[in-house]
Amino acid sequence: MDIKSYIESGVIESYVLGMADTQEAAELEQLSRQHPEIRKAINDFEAALEQHALAAAVTPPFQIKEQLLITLADEFIKEEESRPVAFGWFRYMAAASVILLVVSAALNVYFYTQFRSTSNAYQALLVEKNTLFADNQNIQTKALELYSNMQMMSDPAIQKISLSATKAGENNLATIFWDSKSKDVYLMLNKLPQAAPDKQYQLWAIVDGKPVDAGMIDACAGLCKMKNIPSASMFAITLEKKGGAASPTMDQMCVAGKVG
Amino acid sequence: MEVVKKYSEPELVQLLRQRSSHVFSYLYDNYSGALHSVILNIVNEEELANDVLQEVFVKIWRQIESYDSSKGRLFTWMLNIARNASIDTVRSKGYQNSRQNRELTEDVYTAGGTSEMRTDQIGLKKLVYSLREEYKVLVELSYFQGYTQDEIAKMLNIPLGTVKTRLRTALIQLREIIKP
Repeated sequence: MDIKSYIESGVIESYVLGMADTQEAAELEQLSRQHPEIRKAINDFEAALEQHALAAAVTPPFQIKEQLLITLADEFIKEEESRPVAFGWFRYMAAASVILLVVSAALNVYFYTQFRSTSNAYQALLVEKNTLFADNQNIQTKALELYSNMQMMSDPAIQKISLSATKAGENNLATIFWDSKSKDVYLMLNKLPQAAPDKQYQLWAIVDGKPVDAGMIDACAGLCKMKNIPSASMFAITLEKKGGAASPTMDQMCVAGKVG
Repeated sequence: MEVVKKYSEPELVQLLRQRSSHVFSYLYDNYSGALHSVILNIVNEEELANDVLQEVFVKIWRQIESYDSSKGRLFTWMLNIARNASIDTVRSKGYQNSRQNRELTEDVYTAGGTSEMRTDQIGLKKLVYSLREEYKVLVELSYFQGYTQDEIAKMLNIPLGTVKTRLRTALIQLREIIKP
């Protein structure tokens, strides 16, 4: 079949303009499926016809459109129904941001609580550390003190005098360390009952048969440094009223010991 | 008229089938003028042409499901609806009567001042009327008045073969004129 002369026969134009009879139309439709050139020729004429018609348009009175929109009003889909896509998208976004806000707020509370408890724990640790540090300092001081005490006790110039209980049935005990060079007196309380709140122990040195005040005894760890005593034949401790007495109350003597 | 969005033909058809009033409005704005001009070519009378245009758009709207894109363009389909509706209107009893009445009154009042317009000066008819007389009359009778080639052969008393040949030659000439 000669496609070219078929295309030029006018049958395509007749078909497009709706003037072809049923048989011609069926034949052309059949052929157009087999031959792209025919399909193209149909399309070209259609496009040209459309362009011409659009260029030759005569605008109808505007009332016609209004009338049509009224006539077909019930057949249009509701315009709102074509919008849910955009609106739905917005709603999902809004919902998502609210959820994010709530989650964020909850996390804020959670993290703040965490922060507070961590901060408190840190403060507690800081206090504990300071306490431990202070304790450590104390212990170091005491250790140094004990060390120097030990150094002193082992000094050959130191004379050691044991003061033992003066009354039968008691086993009170104290020890005097007396530096024979500097004449300093140190006292270690080995065992003495706790003094009443208004009472205080007092150390006496017996010099030439007479008691000389050698100092009040405070609670001291290890060795208590007492008054300097140049010479003494004996040391004794009495329990006196707080602040001490000018002369010892003899019946309150707890311990005593001779020098040498 | 400003058209914000341009729809492709498949989009147009799909949205019309989804019953979008927006797209119907778009279709009307873009094609009513072209279809109106063809209707005027056939119906010749403005009031009636307006009615036909309305009828045509209702048909397009309601019959969009039957449009088959494999057979041709949307405009071709709409154009044929417009042509057929126009020819049907012209052939209806009412139209024939009113036309006869008008022709009688026109004898009295002469041609001026009637609602009839020179519709052969617009659209496709203007092109057809630029063809040679022997072609023009055939296209007029077949395309604008809807007669079959058999009927035309009898009316003009010329052989059917000649009608066929001349008509096709006329259409080829038309095609050459509107070729872009």
